Amino acid sequence: MRSVRVDRPAPYPPRISAATRPFWDALGDERLTTTRCLDCGDTTFPPKPICPNCFSTQLSWQSLSGRGTLYSYSRVWAGPEVFGEELPYTVCVVDLDDGLRLGSRLLDGVEPEMGKRVTLVFVHYTDATLFFFESEAAMKNES
Amino acid sequence: MRERVAVIGIGATPVGRYKDLLDHELLLEAFAQAFKDAGVRKEDIGGLVFSHPRTYTKQRYFATFMAGYLRMQSSATVLEVVGDGMTGGFAFDKAVDEILLGKCNVCVALGVSMETQVPSAEHMNLTMRAVGDVDFQAPFGFTPISWYAMDAVRYMHEHGATREQLASVAVKNRRHASLNPIAQYKDELTLEEVLNARPIVEPLGLLEVPPRSDGAVAVVLSDLETAEKLDRPYAVVRGRGFFHEGAHQISDKPNSMIRLEAAREASRLAYEDAGISAKDIDLAELYAPCTIVEVLASEALGLCPEGQGALWAKQGETALGGSIPLSTSGGLLSRGHPPLVTPLYNVVEVVQQLRGEAGERQVGGAEFALTSAELGNYNAALVHVFGKAG
Repeated sequence: MRSVRVDRPAPYPPRISAATRPFWDALGDERLTTTRCLDCGDTTFPPKPICPNCFSTQLSWQSLSGRGTLYSYSRVWAGPEVFGEELPYTVCVVDLDDGLRLGSRLLDGVEPEMGKRVTLVFVHYTDATLFFFESEAAMKNES
Repeated sequence: MRERVAVIGIGATPVGRYKDLLDHELLLEAFAQAFKDAGVRKEDIGGLVFSHPRTYTKQRYFATFMAGYLRMQSSATVLEVVGDGMTGGFAFDKAVDEILLGKCNVCVALGVSMETQVPSAEHMNLTMRAVGDVDFQAPFGFTPISWYAMDAVRYMHEHGATREQLASVAVKNRRHASLNPIAQYKDELTLEEVLNARPIVEPLGLLEVPPRSDGAVAVVLSDLETAEKLDRPYAVVRGRGFFHEGAHQISDKPNSMIRLEAAREASRLAYEDAGISAKDIDLAELYAPCTIVEVLASEALGLCPEGQGALWAKQGETALGGSIPLSTSGGLLSRGHPPLVTPLYNVVEVVQQLRGEAGERQVGGAEFALTSAELGNYNAALVHVFGKAG
């Protein structure tokens, strides 16, 4: 999986708490992770200090593949003021092969196509790392 | 417990941009109209349920301020309710509860939503925090309507619907609004104008997403006995249903994002409560901020066949004169969308229709009408079924 460096702070960086620090630290180290319930085995995204399936608080961290398919997308031309410099950009919903759905962003220049295979790209802003996606084909051409 | 509640008075300001009125002053216009329309005495009113105003409304603790302003004593309730796009719907629903529980005979659901003092990009700094996880989704730049735009892409992909079909919803709603004195936008549109509008959240352009709007509404509710004694036209709340699907924007377990499960379940409960089915509904005022949302909701509520909501819109089935008129007021796109009170505007329209007072927009012989309110990506839905008096 590729990574990209962006020489500015994230427009709206996530807050990092004791509960979510393992996730953001792992992402900074270029691994996508989430929590898995030790009682029922359910995984969830984003990671949580409670299992939403059985409300157990016995959880472990698990790595995710970072590969999946594009469920939908939209190119945003009018966005929040804080995202003004990044407009236009393409938000998306991705279904990971791990059976989890998440919201994300397509890397600039990626031509979206429904049902297309996509792969995670680690985007390192100066103050936070975010998880974008690009098409799997684009990644193969790069490597 | 009482079984049914009547809507005996309605008041609504034209939807638009108000610069010279303070928030509560705008609300008082609607309140005075509704009070006069209901024909009750001040001392008959037992409770006030407000939709919580925007953070831009400087007067905080708005409900108690208004109780003081109106010198209103109450032994039932004076409070504000909150629920994102469902806020006005919750205000109405809570007022229904107060009467069903016998806490009062007459209760007013009311609110003001002032949006236009703040530019849209600045406003989205706030709303992006409502429509997604602040830490795990907001950092990507989702806006409220970007989720609906993704619904549109998915719907066209799955059902082969066309851009023209979706855009026809905006043309139809503008035609309805041209007949509505309180609508914000009344000049008719062509399909080409809608399709060629500048992109906002692709594939949706400026005329398929909601305008910025201010507005205020008051709705007076009562028990049936009080309504009968007043000897004026009224509507009856025949059924209601609520459902939250336990997801915020998207479920982390992949499912269909466009089936709007909450609307399906809430409407099933509302139809059951009313003892009717979807085919008995004569018109519906939907909470539909974008063209695609009207299409998806029309299917989820059972008003249009699955996968054919957009086609039905294009064919005129959902227009006045069609088989199931939707958004006869002009809807959120053209009547306008002050989000926190939009569900109350929807109640005003169906009450006018059921009282036979909708003028050129009148749906002939309307017996049953439906309103919906929602939040997120229809992750929760609140559905009310209204019937004629008697």
